[in-house]
Amino acid sequence: MENVPTDENWKTRFSQLAPGLVLFARQWTRSAADAEDVVQEAFVKFWRRNHDIGNRGLLYATVRSVALDLLRRDSRRARREATALSDSDQFVPPAFDVEDDSQRALVAALDLLPDEQREVLTLKIWNELTFAEIASALGISQNTVASRYRYALAALKKNLPST
Amino acid sequence: MNDFSELEGQLRKLRPAQPSPELTARIESALAGPETSPATAAVLKRERRFHFNWLPLGLGLAAATALVLFAFVRLHQQGAPEPGTASTTPAPAISTAQLVPAGLTQVVYHTRDEGVHFRSNSEQPMRRVRSHTRETLQWRNPKTGATLRISYPREEVSLIPVSGQ
Repeated sequence: MENVPTDENWKTRFSQLAPGLVLFARQWTRSAADAEDVVQEAFVKFWRRNHDIGNRGLLYATVRSVALDLLRRDSRRARREATALSDSDQFVPPAFDVEDDSQRALVAALDLLPDEQREVLTLKIWNELTFAEIASALGISQNTVASRYRYALAALKKNLPST
Repeated sequence: MNDFSELEGQLRKLRPAQPSPELTARIESALAGPETSPATAAVLKRERRFHFNWLPLGLGLAAATALVLFAFVRLHQQGAPEPGTASTTPAPAISTAQLVPAGLTQVVYHTRDEGVHFRSNSEQPMRRVRSHTRETLQWRNPKTGATLRISYPREEVSLIPVSGQ
């Protein structure tokens, strides 16, 4: 157990990882608040067992597992929320800080991607995981990760308005 | 690959929204609190522990055993007739020829990866995989061509250690 957690240890590392972790968790949740709940539970679970925070594949696998558990357990609640959201057209905080129209178009194109492609893209681009780490986190082969990544970029390029 | 480099650059310029400042404080208090009460207990229930569903397997095996015993007893009775018993008794539907094992098939018709879990008293994360299988045992009478087939469902939960590196 060379990685005994200390206060400054986890806070520094967590502050670096938090935006990407929450973005990753948002794929399975309907709100930023739910995504933060997922990240909180996953990180506490992960850190309590003194895992090396460098083991990012396992950290993201834990976030995914907690998010999917939440989705399964609270499917009825999610359905209610989905209905409520579509009925009242509530404001959902954006997943990105958008600066201009081109970024807005990019975010819109991202929303059109299939879940499994967006998942890989999120881990690669905004969490800076390697293909090997992504494969470990998602429980799939590196070849599958690489092809999903390429398909995602190709689909984005196709869906973006030509500049 | 290179023709995506510009697009990758654009994507990297997109900044994910910052989580709320309270998130770090919430994790801090959760880490300071007792392990048995997750900070989001109101939202996230405690995970169920490893559980193997023995019922289908038990019922299937019991049925298989009963049928094999039944066949065995019938064959045994016919192989050694009691002295003095009239030999004009017509042969039963199952003839004296033995049923011989003819096959065993195991069809996995559903496998689900249930993600990473931590077992109690264990530091080692495990990936839980649940599979549903149908097993079919078959016997055949080589003389008459009659077959006896027993099929039962089986559910299996495997815990596979995750290395993560």
